[in-house]
Amino acid sequence: MEETSILKIESLSKHFGALKAADNVSFEVKKGEIVGLIGPNGAGKTTITNLVTGALTKTDGKVIFKNIDISNLKPYQIARKGLTRTFQVVKPLVGMTVEENILVGSLYGKLGRNTNIKNASQRAKEIIKLVGLDKKKDFLVSDITLPDLKRMEFARVLAMEPEVVFLDEVMAGLNPAEVDEESRLVKKVRDEKELTIVYIEHIMKAVMGISDRIIVLHHGKKIVEGSPQEVANDPAVIEAYLGKRYAKEVKNEEAISTPG
Amino acid sequence: MFINGKTNKIFLAVCLIILIFLPKFIPGYGIRILTAIFMYAVIAQGINLMSGYMGYLPFGNAMFFGIGAYITAIMMGKGITFLLAMFLGGIVSILVSTLFGLPVLRLRGHYFAIATIGVSGALLSIVQNTTEITGGAMGTTLPIIDAPPKVTYSYFYWGMLALMVVVTLVISYIMKTKFGYGIRSIKANEEAADSMGINTTQHKVVTWVISAFFTSLAGSIYAYWMSFIAPDEVFNVMIAVHAIVILLIGGMGTILGPIIGAFIIELLSEVTWSTFLEYHLAVMGIATIIIVFFMPKGVVGTFSEIRKRGEIKRRKKVTI
Amino acid sequence: MLINALLIGGLYALMGIGFSLQWGISGIINLSYGAMVILGSYLSLTMFDFLNIDPFISIVISAAILFFLGAAIYRGILQPLIKGGIIITLILTFAVRLVLENIMLVVWSANYRTIRLSYAGYSFQVGNAYVPLIRFLTFIIAIAVIYAVYRFMMGTKIGKGIQAVALDREGAEAVGIDVEKMYLINFALGSALAGGAGALWASIYSFSPHLVGIIVGKVFIIAILGGLGNIWGAAAGGLVLGIAETTGAVFLGSEWQEAIGMAIMVIVLVWKPYGLLGKKFFK
Repeated sequence: MEETSILKIESLSKHFGALKAADNVSFEVKKGEIVGLIGPNGAGKTTITNLVTGALTKTDGKVIFKNIDISNLKPYQIARKGLTRTFQVVKPLVGMTVEENILVGSLYGKLGRNTNIKNASQRAKEIIKLVGLDKKKDFLVSDITLPDLKRMEFARVLAMEPEVVFLDEVMAGLNPAEVDEESRLVKKVRDEKELTIVYIEHIMKAVMGISDRIIVLHHGKKIVEGSPQEVANDPAVIEAYLGKRYAKEVKNEEAISTPG
Repeated sequence: MFINGKTNKIFLAVCLIILIFLPKFIPGYGIRILTAIFMYAVIAQGINLMSGYMGYLPFGNAMFFGIGAYITAIMMGKGITFLLAMFLGGIVSILVSTLFGLPVLRLRGHYFAIATIGVSGALLSIVQNTTEITGGAMGTTLPIIDAPPKVTYSYFYWGMLALMVVVTLVISYIMKTKFGYGIRSIKANEEAADSMGINTTQHKVVTWVISAFFTSLAGSIYAYWMSFIAPDEVFNVMIAVHAIVILLIGGMGTILGPIIGAFIIELLSEVTWSTFLEYHLAVMGIATIIIVFFMPKGVVGTFSEIRKRGEIKRRKKVTI
Repeated sequence: MLINALLIGGLYALMGIGFSLQWGISGIINLSYGAMVILGSYLSLTMFDFLNIDPFISIVISAAILFFLGAAIYRGILQPLIKGGIIITLILTFAVRLVLENIMLVVWSANYRTIRLSYAGYSFQVGNAYVPLIRFLTFIIAIAVIYAVYRFMMGTKIGKGIQAVALDREGAEAVGIDVEKMYLINFALGSALAGGAGALWASIYSFSPHLVGIIVGKVFIIAILGGLGNIWGAAAGGLVLGIAETTGAVFLGSEWQEAIGMAIMVIVLVWKPYGLLGKKFFK
């Protein structure tokens, strides 16, 4: 039997009146992959995330997770099945500590049905160690820095024992050193926990080094799909990020440099 | 609240024992005031659970008080015993909160609060206008217990006291369970809670049901205690406003806040009534403003803050 | 009968706008609003009794006094605790209501009063209906004031500042607008509208401190119907409430008046949470 995809997105669309935030987007994600989802601001990356996780209702399309049609499920149901996400603008549970935040993830995630506080607490502590937050675990979320908040959200999602994680712009607001550190952490976690990750970014550099495959969105549509190399050199992608003029220049350069 | 949990528990146990035996030593007047304090503490706890812990303010919670009161009155009028009538009132409140909870709990913050007032007001009008069953706007009576006044007052005193203790213990227990974490997460960040696998609708409705149930029981006891109730008395938004003031003064989101708040407000009210009759309202108003100014987290909340900050300071010194 | 409903609707509209602005823009649910309205009534009454000033003229003075009172309350009591959240400010306004109510009870007593104008009995005929002169004047003034407020919000620097703050607080701050001052002026304006509405109320209805709660109930509904902070929405809400109450009283009996208001409010909330006109802010 061929390698099955753990997540299939078919013709996903979201229209806000005349605005097509997502327009007939389809792609598949295989188990264990890190798939980069990139595109300029407003391309529809977060919209797709919201549609897949049930936070936004679809205008059209289907989402199939582990061969189950989850298109009409509520966010909490999808989360409990093992499909989770972090938020572009972090959403910490305000008023609680870092440890408590992660504990809640552990209590309500995939194993939520059969968890008591003691077991969940144990798992939470392990996750905290894995991501390196144990020095800060008793701090209130209002007292920690943005990179730590992002890491905490990542930890919170991990505590849910997910199978697929949508990391939505986890690198936003981090400096290059922090970006490297986070990338390493994501890879390490993916390897140890056998996760599948959809990695949403609009910073090219962050995604290139870490993704097995990349999907590019623009104006709500999927324009390119391929390896990091292919995508980086694709004129359509360059045009989307840098505009038509630059793309033309690149084309002309190529025409000149390729032997006649 | 104090040095450690154990001292706290012993202190509270002692207070409870004192309260149980108090009716022997104080006049009927004092018993009645304390009964009212316990009653408001229960109502405030109901609101505390919804608002202090979950972040949804049920302004119209008084409707469950009214339901409890009226179902009890009607049932006892048909010969049913008090306890059964009270229980039936609770059931009706559970049904109403479930029925209205599903649509109304989807509304954000203020809108939820107002919708509950709307439902409460509608219920008030219905009761006022179904005169055959409820006695209409003129009110209805309940059977009077055949016993000397101080004895009957004592019964209601113990009833309310028991209810207050039970609701406090129940809430205390809930907040330590997984469900309790869910409730707190809803207040902390509902969207995040949704994404983490928490069935927020279920949590919200169940919480309101619990809140409604206990408020209803308080209404039942009140009706039997007063022997006479009228719609605009028991379905009054002011009951909730009063309870909210108590909750705020005592401390939202704390276990003992509603109780402490009830003591403070009711005793203050009694004192100002007898001393400043004409300026009673203004004094209460000014006192409320002053307390809120100096202790915005309420009495219990402020002490709790002070203790927590002390702990964090000590911990920071150790880790760094 | 419909005309009566409309005329009352106009007054309700004026009353409702102040409350709606305070809630929608300044973020304060002002439970002392009813007290402010009635205070406006009493001030006009006093000026009429002692200084012989016609309430349709003294409305300006009542409104001005309430403007400064509102500003003082906001600056002194509410502003320091705004960060505490809407519940805290709500309870504070409740406390303010108690104080105001008490003051009015002591100064003017609980008896129902009204302003009896010499021209109270006049009415003129429009088609089949008789339009009482005073109600008509009230309606005209109410509409005029509402329009004036609208022009203020759209046309003046302060008005636009308030609008800006309502739409995007941080953006307004970034552009250099004194956000706190805008909230203050907005709140004071709301109080002034309350006072003005009270002055108009005084010559049509009788009033006493006991009405403060009922009025808050009405403006609550109007604000919800119209969408918080929306001037024309509140105006529409006022008209709807006026019509609903009048027709309800005729067809169902006056006991159902409250219920109708409530029912409309709940329906609007569940169906169109942003108010009948659909948008939260001025359009």
